[in-house]
Amino acid sequence: MGFFLRKRVVSSAIPLVFVVLGVFCLARLTGNPVDLYLPLSATAQQRAEFSAAHGFDDSIAVQLWDYLAGAAHLDFGTSLRTGESAGSMVLQAFPVTLQLAGVTMLLAILGALVVGSLAAYRPNSLVDRIAGLLSMTAASIPDFWFAIMGVLVFGVGLDLLPTSGTLGGPEIWVLPIATLLIRPFGVLVQVVRGSMVGALSAPYVKVARSKGADAKRVVFGHALRNSATPVLTVAGDLTVGLVNGAVVVETIFGWPGIGKLMIDSILQRDFAVLQAAVLLTAVTIFALNILVDVCHALIDPRVRQAVPA
Amino acid sequence: MTLLTSACAVANSDTAGDAGSADGRTLRVVLTQEPPTLEPCESSLTATGVVVRSNITEPLVEREPSTGKLQPLLSTGWRQTEPTTWTFDIRSGVNFQNGQPFTAEDAVFSIDRAVNSDLACNVDGYVFGDEKLEVRAVSPTRLTVTTEKADPILPLRLSFVEIVPRTTSTKAKVRIPVGTGPYAVTSWQTGVSISLARNEKYWGKAPAYPRARYVWRSDASVRAAMIDKGEADIAMALDPMDATGDNSVAYPNNETTALRLDGREAPLNDIRVRKAIGMAIDRQGIADALLGGLAKPAAQLVPPGVVGHNDNLTPTPYDVSAARALVEQAAADGVPVHRRITLVARNGQFAGIAEVAEALQYEMAKVGLNVRIRMADTATHLQYQLRPLPRGVGPVALLIMHGNQAGDAAFTTSQYLLSDGPQSTFGTQELNRRIAAADTRSGKDRQKAFASVLAHQNTEVAQYAYLAHMRGLLGLSPSVRYRPDSATGDEMRLSEVRPATAGRH
Repeated sequence: MGFFLRKRVVSSAIPLVFVVLGVFCLARLTGNPVDLYLPLSATAQQRAEFSAAHGFDDSIAVQLWDYLAGAAHLDFGTSLRTGESAGSMVLQAFPVTLQLAGVTMLLAILGALVVGSLAAYRPNSLVDRIAGLLSMTAASIPDFWFAIMGVLVFGVGLDLLPTSGTLGGPEIWVLPIATLLIRPFGVLVQVVRGSMVGALSAPYVKVARSKGADAKRVVFGHALRNSATPVLTVAGDLTVGLVNGAVVVETIFGWPGIGKLMIDSILQRDFAVLQAAVLLTAVTIFALNILVDVCHALIDPRVRQAVPA
Repeated sequence: MTLLTSACAVANSDTAGDAGSADGRTLRVVLTQEPPTLEPCESSLTATGVVVRSNITEPLVEREPSTGKLQPLLSTGWRQTEPTTWTFDIRSGVNFQNGQPFTAEDAVFSIDRAVNSDLACNVDGYVFGDEKLEVRAVSPTRLTVTTEKADPILPLRLSFVEIVPRTTSTKAKVRIPVGTGPYAVTSWQTGVSISLARNEKYWGKAPAYPRARYVWRSDASVRAAMIDKGEADIAMALDPMDATGDNSVAYPNNETTALRLDGREAPLNDIRVRKAIGMAIDRQGIADALLGGLAKPAAQLVPPGVVGHNDNLTPTPYDVSAARALVEQAAADGVPVHRRITLVARNGQFAGIAEVAEALQYEMAKVGLNVRIRMADTATHLQYQLRPLPRGVGPVALLIMHGNQAGDAAFTTSQYLLSDGPQSTFGTQELNRRIAAADTRSGKDRQKAFASVLAHQNTEVAQYAYLAHMRGLLGLSPSVRYRPDSATGDEMRLSEVRPATAGRH
C-alpha cells in the first residue's frame, strides 16, 4: 500500500506543477493590469511605476521565481484589487466552497445509491423508468436556470426560502445545495444503476439469491460493494468539479466562495489572488485524487496488486 | 477543521439574512458588486463612490444633480479671487466621525492627497487630468486653491474630492475611511456585507435610518427578487425584464452609449462610411426592443442637464438607402468598404448589450459593411478603449458607454474628442482648438462653446455613431421613499431615503 501511495503521489503531482505554471504564464499573456488599476489619464511614468512596484516589468522567469520564492514561505502576494493578502483572501473563500461541495456530494452519493439501487433491482420496472427520467432530467438541467427558477418559485412565489445570502439558519442552504446537487445526483443515479445492473446479474449474486438471501442483503451486502468502483470514480470527478468552484451558485446566491473569487480575479487581472486560488484548489484536487485512488485500492484488491512492486 | 469552522461562521453567524431583518431601522441596499475598496480618493469608481460619497465622506461642494448647480457642503462659500485662484470658506462646527474637528488644514490635506500625491488616485485622473494644484490654508476656516491655468470649473472638479482627516495615510490607500458624513462604517464582512451606523454627531440633518447595510448580488434577477420578497429596500441596476412598476423606478443615469469609430483605419477613415454607420442605426427600434423602452435616442455624447448639451442636435434619421448610397460612393472612390470591421463590446456593460451588438452588426451589414463582433471582458475592452490603442487589429467600432456624472462637457471632450484624448482614436486640429477655447469660458459662454464643439464633432469629424441616452432602473421596496436622480448610480445618498411611514427612528 505504501508503494502504491508513493506512486500515486508522484504521478498526481506532475499535473499539479503544470497547472500552477500554466496559470502563472497564461495569466500574464492577458496583459499588464495597469489599465484596470490606474486612472484613465495616468502618465507613462505612473504606469511604469505601477508596473515596477508589482514586478510586472520583470521577465516572466523573474516573476515566476519571485512567486515560487514567496510561495515557499506561504507568501502569495497582495491583491491588486483590495490590497489584502492574497493568501488570506483565498483561505477565507475556500471553506465556503468546501462546505458547499462536501454537503452536496454527501447528499448526492447517498441519494444516488438508494435511487440507483432501487432502479437496478428491477430493470425496466416503473420505478426504474421514473428514476431514469428523473436522473436524465436532473443531469441535463442548466444549473443557472434551476437556480433562478428556485429563487423565483421558492423564494418569491411560495415565500418558503430566502432568495440568497449566507447569513441565516439552515434554510439558506437549501437552494444553493439543491442547485449544486441536481447534476451530480442525476449523473450518479445513472452510474449506480448501470453498475448495479451488471453486478446484480453476476454469478455471485445468483448464488446468494439461490441460498435464500433477502433483497436488501443481496443489493446492499453483495452487489453494492462490487459496483462501487465506477461510482467512486465518477463521484471523485464530480467532487473535483465542485471544489474547483461552484461559480454559478456562488454568483447567484452571493456565497463568497473560491469560484467567484477566481472569476473576479481573472476579470480584474488580480494575478496574486488567482495564483493563490489555483494553487490551493489544485492541491486540494491533488489530495482528493489520492484519496479516491486509496479508496479504490481499499475496495478492490486488484488495484493494489496491479501496481508492480 | 479550521476551514470548516470558519465556513460555519460565514454561513451561520446571523439569523436575519445578509441584508438584515426588515425592522424598519436598517436600510438594506443590494449592490451589483462588492466595492473593491472604500478609499475616498477612488470614489470616482462607481462601485466605491456609491457607498462612500456623501454617506461616509463629503466634499467641499456638491453638484445638485437635477439643476447642475453647485451647493455648499463642507464649504459655505467660494469665489474666484484671482484668475488662477479660488478661495473657499470652511464650515465650522463639523467633526469627523473619529471626533477630530474639521478645519481648512484637513481640506488642504485631502486635496493634496487626492490630486498631488503619488497614490495614483482615480479621482485625480478622472477629474483633474494632468492639472497640479497649489493648495493653502490661509486660516482655520479658509483655503485657497491655485491652478496653473485659469480653471472656471474648479469648484465642480473639487466636488469629486472627498474630505478626510489629516491623520489619513498618504503612503497607502485606506480600505475603510473616516469622514464627516452622516454614516460611519461599523463593519465590513468581506464577501458578505458592509454595515454603517448613523453618525450621531453629524453636523447636518440626521438621516432617518439609524443603520444601513450593503450586500451585493451580481445577478439582476436575484436583486429584483430581494425587493419582491422584502429582503432589501433598495436594489441597484435592475434589468428591464425583471422590473415591474411595483418594484422599481426608472431614472436618467447620465450614461450615453455610442459606437466609437476608429478613423485611422480604412474603411472607417472615410467620413462617408462613418456617417453611413450613424444613418444605418435604428436607434428607436433598439431602444424599444432591446433596452426595455427606457433609453432615448442620442445625438451627442452629452445628455440633457450637463453643461454643453446641445439642444439643437437631433438623432441622425434612420435611413438605410441613404447610408448604402454613401458606402457605395466611398467604394467607388476606392475605399475598401468590404474590409472587416471588428465591433468590440463589453460583456455585462448594460442589460442586453450582446443583443444590441448583434443588431448593430446586422444594420451595418445591411448598408454594405463587413462586421464581426468581439465580446470582451472589462480588461480587454479597456485595451481597445484607452491609449495606447492596440496595433494590428484593423478597423474597430467600439461600443462604449460614457458616464457624464461630472456634469460638464469638458470631461467628455478632453477624453473622447481631443485628437490625442485618452479615449479618442483621432480628431482634427480645428476641433482641438474649439475644445481648448471652450474650456476657458464660464457661464453661458461655456455652454454655448461646448454645444458648438459637439455640433462640429457631428458634422466635421463624426468619430461617434451615437446610440442612446440610457436610463437606469432602481429597485425600490414599498417600505421606503426615495427619488433617484442622475447621480444615484454613482452616489446614492442614504440620508435622502425615508421610511414610507414617515416617522423618525
